[in-house]
Amino acid sequence: MKTVIKTTDLTKIYNGGAAEVHALKKVNLEFKQGEFTAIVGPSGSGKTTFLNVLGGLDKPTEGHIYIDGVDLATMKESKLFDFRLRHIGFVFQAYNLIPVLTAMENVSFIMLLQKRSKEEMERRAKEMLEQVGLADKLDVRPSQLSGGQQQRVAVARALASKPDFILADEPTANLDTESAFNLLDIMARLNKEENVTMIFSTHDQRVIDRARRVINLVDGAVDEDKEFDR
Amino acid sequence: MITLLKISWRNIWRNKARSFIIIAALIIGVIGAIFSAAVRLGVEQQQFKDTVGNQISHIQIHHPEFIANPEARYRIPDGFQLAEEIRNRPDVTITSPRTVFDGMGASANLTTGVRIKGIDPGIEAITTGLDQLVQEGSYFSERGRLPSIIIGKELANNLNSDVGSRIVLTFQDIEGEIVSASFRVEGLYLVADKTFEKRTVFVDAKDLNQLIGDTKAVTEIAVVLTDIDEYRNVASELQAAYPDTKVRHWADIVPFLYFSLEFLERNLIWIFGLIILGVSFGLLNTILMSVLERVRELGVLMAIGMKKIKVFAMVVVETTMLSIIGGLIGLIISFGLVQYLSKHGLDLSGAGGEGLGEFGYASVIYPELALAMYFQLGMLIIVFAILAALYPAWKAIRLVPAEAVRQE
Repeated sequence: MKTVIKTTDLTKIYNGGAAEVHALKKVNLEFKQGEFTAIVGPSGSGKTTFLNVLGGLDKPTEGHIYIDGVDLATMKESKLFDFRLRHIGFVFQAYNLIPVLTAMENVSFIMLLQKRSKEEMERRAKEMLEQVGLADKLDVRPSQLSGGQQQRVAVARALASKPDFILADEPTANLDTESAFNLLDIMARLNKEENVTMIFSTHDQRVIDRARRVINLVDGAVDEDKEFDR
Repeated sequence: MITLLKISWRNIWRNKARSFIIIAALIIGVIGAIFSAAVRLGVEQQQFKDTVGNQISHIQIHHPEFIANPEARYRIPDGFQLAEEIRNRPDVTITSPRTVFDGMGASANLTTGVRIKGIDPGIEAITTGLDQLVQEGSYFSERGRLPSIIIGKELANNLNSDVGSRIVLTFQDIEGEIVSASFRVEGLYLVADKTFEKRTVFVDAKDLNQLIGDTKAVTEIAVVLTDIDEYRNVASELQAAYPDTKVRHWADIVPFLYFSLEFLERNLIWIFGLIILGVSFGLLNTILMSVLERVRELGVLMAIGMKKIKVFAMVVVETTMLSIIGGLIGLIISFGLVQYLSKHGLDLSGAGGEGLGEFGYASVIYPELALAMYFQLGMLIIVFAILAALYPAWKAIRLVPAEAVRQE
């Protein structure tokens, strides 16, 4: 399996107030193509920081993140925007759809930023929304969708850009059990069908039980890294 | 670009009440700016037409001493010949040689100081349109036992006189001797400037010149130019050609009017600017609120790869759209309002406007504004909208995506 992401000595220190906070401590990890990984750990263990740094939303204090051989840690901010657009998909805890756009437009928007053709955008957006079971909600705005449906649109949006991997920050935290299982089913299926790497930060046992790899972070360091045959 | 416009357009209508309030503020601001400018310009243009067109003409020529001492003895040598020479210039439409001096006017029981203007009625009608200003009686068409006099309606009221009344004028002849003569009021004229109307009387120069003892007397030559913009050049040329006279153009004679017009012409855009600047702060506040309410959303846009320049542009486009909507509606309403009032007039007589006449202003105002000014104001609105958008847009792009996406 091809390595998609490799981190070496990844360290993040926040200088907030009087004391330094070591959010990540020399994290060395590799993620292979098509992995379905859960990053777990107690609050304040560095899960979100790790995802932010992996996604180029935050810079590490030390260490490197190699994605397809490119080091995100040393990349200029202007290039990072383009890199995120082409290589990384994001799913957020609070869905974070653009409220003034319909489901179809939300999914197409990222492809518009990628300057894809109109035909391709439409075809891919429809296809993704069908995949997440929202073929009948193409022209509906987020406010008219349930939380689970909004998160499925967010997954469709993340996949539409054909990223190398998807970073999902607590994607099921705001969902009821049925919606959460439904979303996880869809994500697991798409993980296999699209062969896209998915990395979740989560507390949710329902996600952990589906993950084929579980990395436990404690105080910013990797405490445990287990793989499961699921 | 279309999607960016679409998002911006929809963002405007997220909070309809807020957008409507700022649009209404823009509309009111634009109407206020245009209406006040159009009224001010209308007043000034009316006063210019009244003062320069109906009273003093573009250029006046006198004996140099006449300015300080407006008496019959300070005559222009060969005045009629001079007027004829000047009339023959290609840049001159007409000249009106007059006999002008100060005197006293008396009715049966009241006396007041007046400026007596001896004119050629035919020439004066072309020069100042005096015949058109006569509202009661007639204009030098009667030849009775007494010579005719045209007086202002205001003077007639002061002297308790009317058409047909007898008025005695007392003045000095060319030797400085006091002369009195009776005139019959043939017509009453009306101008916006009540001071002029109260003080100036017109008689036939032939009658007046006989009374002062010089039938060829001319103390003032009024000159009307074919192109008013040339007034400074022509006045200089005339002064050089006739050094024994004093040549003054209208801006020298009524400097307050000249400065008032100049100020308006040069500063109208600043007046517009100040009003729109005030509205722009409201616009800035609206957009800033809108940005601060969308921190998470803007964070997501940047997280998924929307470049800062596009986020910046989106905020600027939203502001510009709001200002275009408000500005355009304001401009259309203002245009209609000014067009209507320029035809029907804005009558201020019922609101204390009659007193305006004392300052030379008409009580019925006809606002006017050149189309170019609407265009300039439109441009100004867009420029100010873009300036007002800069701070909120800067705030938007300063957001840190990692923090913004997690904000509640």
